[in-house]
Amino acid sequence: MKIWEYIVRRLLLLIPVLIGVTIITFTVSHVIPADPARAFAGGPKAQPETIARIRAELHLDKPLWEQYFYYLNDLIHLNLGKSFLENRPVTTALAQYFPATFELTIFAMIIAVPFGIIGGIISAIRQNKLSDHITRIIAIVGYSLPIFWLALMLQYVFAYQFPIFPLEGRLSAGMTSPTTFTGFYVLDSILSGNGATLLSSLHHLLLPAFTLGFATLAIILRMMRSSMLEVMGSDYIRTARAKGLSERTVIYKHALRNAMIPTITVTGLAFGGLLSGAVLTETIFNWPGMGRFAAHAVLGLDFNAVMGFTLVVAIIYVLANLIVDILYAVVDPRVKLGGG
Amino acid sequence: MESFKKKDMKAGVLAISICAMFICIAFSGCTQQQQPGNPEIKNPTIYTRYDIGEPRTLDPAESYDSASSDMINNIYETLVTYKGNDSKTIYPSLATDWVAPTGNSSTWTFHLRHGVQFSNGDAFTAEDVKYSFDRVLIMNSPDSGVSWILSQCMDTNSTKVIDDYTVEINLTKPYGGFLVLLAFTVASVVDKKVVEANGGVVANTDNEWMKEHAVGTGPYTLDHWTHNSEIVLKKNDLYWGGWTGKHVDTVVVKTADEASTRILALQTGDADVAYIPLENLVDVENSTGVSVLKDPSYNVVLGLFNLRSDNKFMANPDVRKALCYAFNYQSAIDNAYNGYLYRLPGCIPKGMPYYDTQNNGVAVFNYNIVKAGELLNASGYTQTYQFKSNYYRFNNTAIRIWYNTGNAERQKMALSFQEELTKLGINSIVSTESWPQYLNRMYNTKEWDFMFLGWMPDYNDPDDYIAPFVGSKAINQDTFNTGYANATVDAMLFKGKYNVDPQIRSDAYTTAFNIYINDPSLIFIGQNVYVRGFRTWLQNYSYNPVIEYYYYNVYKAYP
Repeated sequence: MKIWEYIVRRLLLLIPVLIGVTIITFTVSHVIPADPARAFAGGPKAQPETIARIRAELHLDKPLWEQYFYYLNDLIHLNLGKSFLENRPVTTALAQYFPATFELTIFAMIIAVPFGIIGGIISAIRQNKLSDHITRIIAIVGYSLPIFWLALMLQYVFAYQFPIFPLEGRLSAGMTSPTTFTGFYVLDSILSGNGATLLSSLHHLLLPAFTLGFATLAIILRMMRSSMLEVMGSDYIRTARAKGLSERTVIYKHALRNAMIPTITVTGLAFGGLLSGAVLTETIFNWPGMGRFAAHAVLGLDFNAVMGFTLVVAIIYVLANLIVDILYAVVDPRVKLGGG
Repeated sequence: MESFKKKDMKAGVLAISICAMFICIAFSGCTQQQQPGNPEIKNPTIYTRYDIGEPRTLDPAESYDSASSDMINNIYETLVTYKGNDSKTIYPSLATDWVAPTGNSSTWTFHLRHGVQFSNGDAFTAEDVKYSFDRVLIMNSPDSGVSWILSQCMDTNSTKVIDDYTVEINLTKPYGGFLVLLAFTVASVVDKKVVEANGGVVANTDNEWMKEHAVGTGPYTLDHWTHNSEIVLKKNDLYWGGWTGKHVDTVVVKTADEASTRILALQTGDADVAYIPLENLVDVENSTGVSVLKDPSYNVVLGLFNLRSDNKFMANPDVRKALCYAFNYQSAIDNAYNGYLYRLPGCIPKGMPYYDTQNNGVAVFNYNIVKAGELLNASGYTQTYQFKSNYYRFNNTAIRIWYNTGNAERQKMALSFQEELTKLGINSIVSTESWPQYLNRMYNTKEWDFMFLGWMPDYNDPDDYIAPFVGSKAINQDTFNTGYANATVDAMLFKGKYNVDPQIRSDAYTTAFNIYINDPSLIFIGQNVYVRGFRTWLQNYSYNPVIEYYYYNVYKAYP
């Protein structure tokens, strides 16, 4: 099977996945006995006409199955509905929040992946030495520290006691965001040649990106270490060494490629997880991303927003898995896509 | 082997030492002493507030929440307004003076300010006033329903342009609170040309452009709004009030959900003002350069009785009176609100006209568990149901107390109330659910007996409180769905609302009070103190219970 056939087949599989996701999300969010129309219309101050209009707009007066088909019909027309909490279309809200979260996640991965891989390699090849102990402690700290605690501590130390990083936000106070091309402030600043926003956005990214990436760094580091140790003990590595190849060639040319396979899997899944699960980091660092949007939507029973978010997350996970599978084939030529 | 172990141990000790060093560095800051003297003023021309919640809209014809009103009050202007923390006096704004109706007339005449421009340079005239008021009524915002505030005494024939700087408003019926209505954001004046160029006015349809854009005559103009993050206003160079004197050029209002972020922002000086939860006030009160503003607000805290409950005893006025005596008000003030609440005698909050019509401002019900028991016994609800070694009232039927999830103050009050009910031999259940579920229970079920709720002002007139609180369904009120209905109270509410004679209004509200307080559908728990942490470098910072914030007079300097 050619690679593009494989990609198309996997993308087509996205359709049943998304239908399944919508059914589950729709059912769970709609069976709770609640009065979202009144909540959206202003609670006790809501005017009866306003409540009636919102009920009609959300088809809340119809049976659940009928409401679902209204929703599917809108979805087919690429209409995710209106977020009543934000008083604007869900697509508009997601178009703002997705780039903010994506930028944060990319920078978190920039911190997590290279340091995790390099740390894992060093830890494995220098097993039980000082550097191994240090990296192992970093890994333990990384995945045992609660993310909110790490975020609060980083804020306290680096924004309050030693104010070298900004406390929160994406840009300095009063600064206007760069001209929007992509919604990624760093990229937009470069494209619009705005040095001030570039520096400010990079400065603002560091603490939240480190917070978000630290746990992933720890996981990648542990995974890389254990796969490297396993690979280094295998026969073909012994053979390579017996052939007199240099240690550098053995490690980086022969061992690393095989050891990378599980790390790629973990990295791909972590990327999806970070994109959808940055609620705490975004809340503490006041980052206007999808995590906060989703948290508000869930608490306020903003159906359309919850379902819009879930769909985006489902797509991200499917695409992340697809990219991981393609990377397998790139890293390890023995892997044939599509089982062919 | 031994040397390896030794080496290994050494390495381990070294690694642990490094970690310990990092932890020490991190925590060394915790005991760092503040520098003496005044800290350097951060961003001297920028006012920054960290708060919760963000505006729903920037369109005055749609706005019906305090976060939106906060922005609109600083971008747009109304004909009349309030100043500083004075909520009793109406001051000129876009109108320089006005003539109130006399005799049987319902016609108000307003003379408008000359030389006023919108932030885009368009001239402000009487046409804009008529357009703005008619727009509210025609648009009839389907998203918020706020147009009722004007439509209760105006229609599209009400506003007449006499000349460029004079408008006449003929009310559909005399209305005692008309002037204060005009100070609410719904009566803000928009630029006719701008609205017409961007969607115009469509009946029963919100204007999408106006939700996110704003051109007004006020001191500030919208720079940008990043949802869920910040809204930034810059000074309007064309503002008629001018920019001589001390002002801030930029206003930044940030939406920060996390309390610790807001606290740190205030302590670092990133925030000039921040919303600090009551339980965290002690964290900032002793910080250098930080003070706490404690101003009276019109926000009130209520307990609601369900007269329609499937527990029939809730319909009995004596039971509800007994429950009013069983509520521990001082505990609510001290424990739930940390002292930032004061007693509320009836529907009308302190500071609002006609407050004294409520037993001269003295609460009728005070905590008295003995009296509560006597009232219940006299009504026949004695402790006759034996369960184990205790005796219960109401055949051990539980009173269902609800509060909305996340509201710590209400949770504390609910648990305190439960404790008091236990002393009376009343079984009760305290439960919580999310806000939409809570509203569903209140409006669509009978499965509750007591709930907590708050109320904030729309405009500075008792009609905005007393009518929704104790008016009946028959006059389209009973806003909390308690089921309370009294024809005399309804008649008095109408009398108070549609009369301009203060004595007639006062008498009507007194009569209503004497009736509803003896058949209580609400526990008037208290009136909130508005609390915000602020930097001491902020001058002229005040809170007005009606319009909340006005940034034009604020500046940053040490006194």
